[in-house]
Amino acid sequence: MNTLARSHIAATLVFSASVLLLAGKAPPWCLAIAMLAAAWRLMVASGRLTVPKVRVGARFVLGAVTAALVVAVALSFRTLNGLAAGSALLLVMGALKLLEARSRRDDGIVIAVALFLLLAATLATQSLASLPLYLVVVWGACAAIAIVSDQGGALAPRAAMRLAARALAMAIPLAVACFLFFPRFGGQFWAFQRGEQAASGLSDEMSPGSISRLAIEYDPAFRVRFEGNPPPRSALYFRGPVLNDFDGFTWRRARSKLYVGSQIVMEGEPLRYRVTLEPTNQPWPYTLDTLSAVPQRDMFMAPSDRQLSTSTRITGVLSYDAVSYLRTRTVSPLTALGRRHETTLPVDRNPRARALALQLRAQSTNDADFARRVLAWFRDNGLRYSLEPGTTSLDSVDSTLFDNKLGFCGHFASAYATMMRAAGIPARVVTGYLGGEWNPLGSYFIVRQSDAHAWNEVWLDDTGWTRIDPTAVVAPERLGSGIFDLMSDSLPATSSFLHNNPFLFRLQQAWDGANNWWRERVVEFDTRSQLNLLRKLGIESPDWHHLGWAFAAGLLAWIAWVSLALRRGVARVKPDRIGRAWLRATRKLARVASARAAAEGPMDYARRIGGARPDLADRVLSLASRYAKLRYGREASHRDIDDFEREVRNFAV
Amino acid sequence: MHLSANLKATLRRRMAAWARRRQGDDALPVTVTARRVYILPTRGGFAFAALTFVMLLAGLNYSNSIALLITFLLAGFGMIAMHLTHRNLVGVSLKAVASADAFVGEHGRLLLTIESAADTARLGLDCEVEGSARSAVNVPARGSARADVSLTLTRRGRLTVDRIKISTAFPFGLFRAWTYAHLRASVLAWPVPRGRREAPPEISSGGSATAVHRVGDEEWAGLREFRSGDSPRQVAWGAYARGRGLLVKTYQSPAAHQRMFDLATLPGELEQRLEQLSAWIVAAHARGERYGLKLGEHSLSPGSGNEHRERCLTGLALHGSGEPW
Repeated sequence: MNTLARSHIAATLVFSASVLLLAGKAPPWCLAIAMLAAAWRLMVASGRLTVPKVRVGARFVLGAVTAALVVAVALSFRTLNGLAAGSALLLVMGALKLLEARSRRDDGIVIAVALFLLLAATLATQSLASLPLYLVVVWGACAAIAIVSDQGGALAPRAAMRLAARALAMAIPLAVACFLFFPRFGGQFWAFQRGEQAASGLSDEMSPGSISRLAIEYDPAFRVRFEGNPPPRSALYFRGPVLNDFDGFTWRRARSKLYVGSQIVMEGEPLRYRVTLEPTNQPWPYTLDTLSAVPQRDMFMAPSDRQLSTSTRITGVLSYDAVSYLRTRTVSPLTALGRRHETTLPVDRNPRARALALQLRAQSTNDADFARRVLAWFRDNGLRYSLEPGTTSLDSVDSTLFDNKLGFCGHFASAYATMMRAAGIPARVVTGYLGGEWNPLGSYFIVRQSDAHAWNEVWLDDTGWTRIDPTAVVAPERLGSGIFDLMSDSLPATSSFLHNNPFLFRLQQAWDGANNWWRERVVEFDTRSQLNLLRKLGIESPDWHHLGWAFAAGLLAWIAWVSLALRRGVARVKPDRIGRAWLRATRKLARVASARAAAEGPMDYARRIGGARPDLADRVLSLASRYAKLRYGREASHRDIDDFEREVRNFAV
Repeated sequence: MHLSANLKATLRRRMAAWARRRQGDDALPVTVTARRVYILPTRGGFAFAALTFVMLLAGLNYSNSIALLITFLLAGFGMIAMHLTHRNLVGVSLKAVASADAFVGEHGRLLLTIESAADTARLGLDCEVEGSARSAVNVPARGSARADVSLTLTRRGRLTVDRIKISTAFPFGLFRAWTYAHLRASVLAWPVPRGRREAPPEISSGGSATAVHRVGDEEWAGLREFRSGDSPRQVAWGAYARGRGLLVKTYQSPAAHQRMFDLATLPGELEQRLEQLSAWIVAAHARGERYGLKLGEHSLSPGSGNEHRERCLTGLALHGSGEPW
């Protein structure tokens, strides 16, 4: 195989590898076009197909096909801007380039396209699992660069792979140093639209059954790492959407029902933690109840219910540091507007529940007593906790409490809030997650979709908004364990198998731990982490300058190391010991007799000196003939050179 | 395009002149030390740098750690590529330069012997002189190899180069490192054998040419004493067996066919006359004839064989240059 064909094949293979990286991220038809072009190119380059002769018309056809494909991409995405459309365009353009690639330069362009496709893939996915694939493509691209540039056929493909591996291995320290210290300029130079990602999670609506649908999903919702000791599992109420508007069936978050919230005071020790949230396509970050302040600049907290939200929907992984307190105290009363909003019920729905509420309220001494009585009623009237509570009528609370007597957390929270409101006590439904799975390998909690939960907040005049979890009285075991431990029978077989097989569970935890480490330490490494690192290295108030210096120092150290490491392969040019010794001898002679003329050979010079200084003649002639023999004779041994040097040293005049 | 080509040529010339002032003249063998190696990115290298830069911008823009990691890895790879290319050249030495002359219009050749004392092979070394194409050579570890640089000969006479450039883009083609050996080397361009004139008639200068080689229809010319250098084939072993000592058989051409080519006998322009002489020499050599050459006061007495032919052609090539031959 000639070296040009080899060059075509190498470039095409790298291209196909990076096309595969985009599988599932680009439209299938683009991937198909790219792979077909690559296959055709490989067949041609390996001689299994002959290239059709390019006629003048072929150029026009190619141009037309190019235009058609650009239009097709534009139509399918309705834009050419954005990551998905951009990668699709790059795919089809790369495919077309393959069709017309003839020269080594074309192959170079194909490799460049492959690297851009790799870039697109990294922008789409930064997971630990895809890292090896990315590295393989980088390796292949570097080897292909060697093969493409090798016109003389000096490099076998295997040798090129080895060479590229070695060069990349030597580049790793620089990559790490750059990664740690290269100044990251904050902010975006340009923006692009990210595609909608499939995401599951809580929304700002809750109907009977909506949470139990979520509860059978094993996917992680977020991960939480606490600074210091984590609180007990039963305290892990992660607050999500707060729902305050009920139509008798569905609870919703009504944006119009805003009012000035009451002041609270945080008590006890703060809990500091970092949440890494999976994409939800919703604007609700989850924080531990009760959050003390807004964690990040682009987040907001509603004044009435302390509901945290982001300015845009969360479409990528989002991490934030938050501080919460487990105990709070309310220091100002609920406003009249707030009381009205939080006690509104549809007048014609759930009559039985409302009647029961009024009856129980009449027996109670105060609001707090009533709240306890309703909980006791929940406990004592045969309500059971179930993932499949059956269907409810439009009067969903009546169905749950009196007909089905079965419910999941959402049902009980809905019923409890209804009864509170019926008695004129402000109450609302809070959705979120309860508990989490402790990962001992990474020391963090994984909170899964199956940990989704709903509970209530009730306004009691003494304590202000108070968290009450009616599920806790119906199924107290829910507080200490997750759904997968409670009712593994009613869950999908694969999820419960994964959860209950100890080996798989451990393996899955280890993998999750590694991923979490990767995400926290690598993917989320940013300017702040860089400055923290400098702080750890002993710089008290690090800023850009320190970062720049650290980067420069790392770069210089690496260059020094590379120069030293690579010098080992170079044969040191042997210092010319013979010539230097002879030079020393002539210098000595120049002092007592005359200097050697530039064009004078050693023997001529010796004879001339001998004529002028007969006393030196013998020794000079001996030196000169020895030098001539070493220099012009057969290869001189080190011993000969040593002897000659000694003779020069001992030569005193 | 044209302008940039001119600019490039000018820059290249300036660079070479600077290197010459900096390094001075060299003598064989020339060992390439790091101080005399120059290196610049190739076009591919600039493209690679641009690509890395775009990846860097994208990585910074999207705060994408993996894109940045890969970018930094590629940047490091590029710098390693530079070191590897540089290292590929340092330590090789140019041991010998030989030349092969040719007719005008053909390719003369410079044969460069390149040696590597290192434990690693030096692959993809390109040798060139001004006006030649690159000639690639792979030098094995602790060994030597010969590069064959061919020069198109356009004018009769001596084509001299005073600089030999050894360069390499190995292994990744992102950088090209080069070095100059400031050595004089030359190739002779013989006049093209061309002309339709009759060769001058053979002259017989009686019996002066005795040869041990039997070329054609020579006649027996007797025995003479063995001289060192005579082939054992010519030894008269029969005479030796009879105890007459080592004797050699000799032959003589019947009429001692030989021609004398004289520039002065030809009319017309000098170059055409030289070309005619060249044609006669080539033809006479092909027929195995003996011939002599007379160019003004220089003359070569009749002879034959490859060496004689080259001496005659060298005379033609250098005629009028004032250079002795």
